[in-house]
Amino acid sequence: MRVVIGEDLFLLREGLVRLLSAHGFEVVAAVGTAPELLAALVDEHPDVGIVDVRLPPTHTDDGLRAALKARQRIPGLPVLVLSQYVERLYARELLADQAGGVGYLLKDRVFNDDQFTGAIRTVATGGTVLDPEVIGKLLERHSRTEPLTRLTAREREVLALMAEGRSNAAIAQRLFITEKAISKHAAGIFDKLGLALSDDDNRRVLAVLAYLDS
Amino acid sequence: MLFAVVLLLTIGCIAFVLAQEARGVPRPGGLRGRIRDRGWGLLLLPVAMAAAVMAGGAHGLIPAELGIAVLAIVFVPKLAAKLVPYGVLGLAVFGVMLAKMYHDGFTSQVQYLFVHAVSRGGAELVLAEAGVLFVVGLWLLVRLDVPGAGPVRTLAARWLDRGRGGISAVQGLLLIPVVGLAMQLLGPGNWFGWQAVDGLDAALIDLTVTTAALVLIFRSRAWAATLAAAGLLVLGVYGWLIVAFWPALPGFAYGFTDLHNDPGSAHLWGAALQGSVLLAAGLWLAPRVMRQHLADPADLELAARARQLTQRVQTLTQTRHDAVDTASAELRRIERDLHDGAQARLVALGMSLRAAERLFATNPEAALALVSEARETSSRALSDLRDLVRGIYPPVLADRGLADAVRALVLDTPLHTELDVDLPGEVQTPVGAAVYFAVAEALANAVAHSGARTVRIHLSHAAGLLRAQITDDGSGGADPAQGTGLAGVERRLATFDGILAVNSPPGGPTIVVIEVPCALSSAKTSSC
Repeated sequence: MRVVIGEDLFLLREGLVRLLSAHGFEVVAAVGTAPELLAALVDEHPDVGIVDVRLPPTHTDDGLRAALKARQRIPGLPVLVLSQYVERLYARELLADQAGGVGYLLKDRVFNDDQFTGAIRTVATGGTVLDPEVIGKLLERHSRTEPLTRLTAREREVLALMAEGRSNAAIAQRLFITEKAISKHAAGIFDKLGLALSDDDNRRVLAVLAYLDS
Repeated sequence: MLFAVVLLLTIGCIAFVLAQEARGVPRPGGLRGRIRDRGWGLLLLPVAMAAAVMAGGAHGLIPAELGIAVLAIVFVPKLAAKLVPYGVLGLAVFGVMLAKMYHDGFTSQVQYLFVHAVSRGGAELVLAEAGVLFVVGLWLLVRLDVPGAGPVRTLAARWLDRGRGGISAVQGLLLIPVVGLAMQLLGPGNWFGWQAVDGLDAALIDLTVTTAALVLIFRSRAWAATLAAAGLLVLGVYGWLIVAFWPALPGFAYGFTDLHNDPGSAHLWGAALQGSVLLAAGLWLAPRVMRQHLADPADLELAARARQLTQRVQTLTQTRHDAVDTASAELRRIERDLHDGAQARLVALGMSLRAAERLFATNPEAALALVSEARETSSRALSDLRDLVRGIYPPVLADRGLADAVRALVLDTPLHTELDVDLPGEVQTPVGAAVYFAVAEALANAVAHSGARTVRIHLSHAAGLLRAQITDDGSGGADPAQGTGLAGVERRLATFDGILAVNSPPGGPTIVVIEVPCALSSAKTSSC
């Protein structure tokens, strides 16, 4: 799997390269600034781009902007955005094009290399992975507000795990219920959120987006 | 009797105009507004009446002059107002002329304002009245800014604009000759010619007054000089009056001139010379004294500005003090958070790794457990640091500025929140942070206390003022005086001259308004 890395801190960049190489990823470019990153993402068209939000030249959200620009040029280009902070505002912007293939994780999730590489693979195959911290805030918030109140508690739990990018099988294992039951819950969620029958992956993205937008 | 009417009319006019001016804009409509527009011109009425009465009191003249004055006030109010000071000054000059004529025997009786003088008595009262009118006329001249006021003002300013750097001892000691001369004129046994006391009593009073003058000179040089200046001016003028009106004016001696025994014209001119010297000394000393007492009497605007600046400095001192307090409290909090949080976790991390190192060869499984514990500790340290940084300077604010930072805040708020942003540019970093934390606090209060269902936030910038309004539909009754949250926010905003206002009647709604004067810089693009 071909990977482009955009990270300005040398230690972290080298660490990511080593980690991904060790897990059999092919790092085709590892760059330190936003313009280089945009060029690399567009030119190399990797299977997934791993992007730090804060990059030179302005050291604000240049990395995120570069990732969004790249996805404008190549719709659906899978991007996994890493940051010291997770902001729902940024998550929403990443998901806004509804094309899927988006991940948004805290940098320290890298510590758990199995989960991290799993997330990279999910994103690369068009899935959506949001950091549990984003989801946690959402759960707090949704205890009191509309439009997801129609979902049952169980369905909300399933939706939260969906947003974290877990497959039905993984969710089933986590909640100690069968995969078939998860499918049923998923269908209920899609139904209540008014998401018509279509490609299952896309509906998952839309459901997560509805979740974020509420 | 007629002059009682004049007096009442004058007092009424001045009181009315001053009261209206004190009330300031906007002007009322209708009759009151029209009268007010005429303002100072109304004074033309009593002036005309006084002039008419003094011009011989011919009965036809009073209604005629009053009629002209009324016509002038109604049809040319500005001209009427400008005529008033010159009218008053004219009356004053007229008064002096009358007194001189009367004194020299050209006329046997005089009617001037409230004084009716017959058979060589009362000239001094006429002069006193003329003096009062003269002062009033000058005051009106400057007050109403009529043509001619400019040069007077410039002369006055030039006269007053001297003598910086305090009062010298010599200036204070000028009180001694002044007291001496005053005692000579007014002292016991003299008293303007009335022999009230004599003998030992007189000596005692002389001694007391002189001692008091000396004490004053040593206690307060400035006040001694002030008294000296006033005395020099008054006594100097008095010397000239003696020349003109002897022997109507009381006094047996004036300085080195013996008035009582030898009132020849040569002696009178001696009195005039002494009067001129005193007057010159008074005119030299007076501005220095006034400079001492007033910051800058020549320029009232400057004085007002000085007051504003003083107030500003007080405000700045207070807010800077608060800012230092807030900053040091913030520093202590950060230090404590780092010490108890990230630092402590990093120590634990190091210890775990060291222990793992030792166990690596002998007990690899235990070492592995320690390493994974170390990893978790590092995660927690990162999480601590994240929380800390959010409290110092939220990342979205750093990345995107105030509008998006508030947008992110709204996304994390578990209430239905409507956000309306109208910011054509970007807010300076410290101001943005202060407003961000103010909005966050207001929002947190709405969530925690109000029981509101929806919150509306409006961010706007107009006329150099950044404004944030947070309205919730909760139960109201919020008191900003209770709890330290909003008070802290208020102090932080005050550093930037910002204010926070809370309107929260019982039953709601609660409206929190934050206003900070600031300029916007050109906008960052808020999204790709």
